[in-house]
Amino acid sequence: MKIRLFVIIGALSLLAFSLLSDLADGDWGRFGGGLSNLVVFFTESMWPPDWSVLQPRTYPACESTVEITCSIGYIGMVETLKIAFVSTILGFLGAILLSPLAARNLQSIWISIPVRILLSAVRSLPSLIWAILFVIVIGFGPLSGVLAMTFYTVGYLGKLQYETFEGMNSGPIEAGRAMGLSSRAIATNIVIPENSNHLLSQLIFMFEYNVRHGTVIGIVGAGGIGYYITNYLKFLQYEKVFALLILIFVVVIIIDLISFFARSFVNEQGDVRRPTWMNLLLKKTGEKSPADAAK
Amino acid sequence: MEDTLLSISNLVIGYDEPLCDPITLTVGRGEIVAVLGPSGIGKTTLLRTVANLVMPLGGRSELHVEPAGGLGYIPQNLGLVRHATVAHNVALGAGVRMKWSFGMYAERRERVMEALAAVGMDHKASEPVRRLSGGQKRRVATARTLAQQPQLILADEFLSELDDSNATAVMEAVFPLLTKGSSLIMVEHHEGHALKYATRIWELLDGRFSDLSVEAWKERQQGGETE
Repeated sequence: MKIRLFVIIGALSLLAFSLLSDLADGDWGRFGGGLSNLVVFFTESMWPPDWSVLQPRTYPACESTVEITCSIGYIGMVETLKIAFVSTILGFLGAILLSPLAARNLQSIWISIPVRILLSAVRSLPSLIWAILFVIVIGFGPLSGVLAMTFYTVGYLGKLQYETFEGMNSGPIEAGRAMGLSSRAIATNIVIPENSNHLLSQLIFMFEYNVRHGTVIGIVGAGGIGYYITNYLKFLQYEKVFALLILIFVVVIIIDLISFFARSFVNEQGDVRRPTWMNLLLKKTGEKSPADAAK
Repeated sequence: MEDTLLSISNLVIGYDEPLCDPITLTVGRGEIVAVLGPSGIGKTTLLRTVANLVMPLGGRSELHVEPAGGLGYIPQNLGLVRHATVAHNVALGAGVRMKWSFGMYAERRERVMEALAAVGMDHKASEPVRRLSGGQKRRVATARTLAQQPQLILADEFLSELDDSNATAVMEAVFPLLTKGSSLIMVEHHEGHALKYATRIWELLDGRFSDLSVEAWKERQQGGETE
């Protein structure tokens, strides 16, 4: 069994390298040159990060007592978080209405296949393309960003959700079906509660994804911190770009910690020992991870 | 009200290959049927076919119960919603026949608490099912069926993991429903439990299906032993 696994992994790796060689046109030297260019670009253009992005803007004048709230970094990040939050919630609501209709174990193929095609169609356009479309239709600004990411979230989250539903244990669904519950009752009272920890996890993942993508859609004028990143890139102010990227990284880490804590309310591990904020950040001395304990 | 709850004629069970001879029988009101046989012989498939969860390879199985709530099914893994509370699970059974009204929620809550009290689990109503022990989960599955008040109960090894006292407690909770005319078909591999409560035995052995009274089944066992 192990030998077969090694052969499969080896064959796939070989295939990947031969395709990479084909794409690079056999010019492996470009990789070496690229790496040195990256080092030069990073050390000479991006380092050190310019934290003036967290200082209040000169215009318009700051009227708040907390000065950081008037900074580019804060304003951009908050707008990105707002766009990500609204689009994640709206997208989740759209997806949770559609995904039970797309799950093969809950609906006949006459319903599930068309809904899957709809979700695939929505998902096939990246959020950046949706953003361009909405900027054309309703103009620049965060509303275009919200609509773009809502559409993409419906497609992406819908797929994650119906695949989760299809992978669940069939026992509760069969019990509900045998007792005569309607498909709607099975979806709302059995399938969604049974998968609540996966749904919560996917919701938070999607929020994190939308925060990261909020930076990209700003490039086409759909609002958020990406708008400022694009401006700094245009004026070659890479130190400021780097500071904003660090800010995004920190926010993403914080979201990940919140996700870990929130999921502990709906999984077995959390019943035994709910993580504290401290042991999320610092592993206690002598504490074994579940993988270590299993050894 | 019909006296026959289930009628089966020439039913061939199985997924690709038939698992046993064609089955023909009926189940009336107030019967307790134990389905016996070795593991993997097709007992669960028979139950799932009767519950219309698996298509038969031939013949027909007809339920003469109400379409909504007339059939109660307790699968081998109990079919509970693990991340929901005990009360939520029991409410699925309690609410299946209820029409929506303002008073529905209070009535359903009352029925849920009555069913939980009958199996001694009312103190765990707001606990998530995933935190319960195996025996407690079995009681919750029983409470869900009690709250539903089905005419026919199909139970797949719902007494198997219980010791005698817990099995007795669960069956005592179910008896009031059976005395009202409901019937129970239970797959059991614990012969002691089966013989203690059953009024009729269905045996699946070596591709043959037998429908016997408890006495006839015992006689056949004794005959087999002396041979």
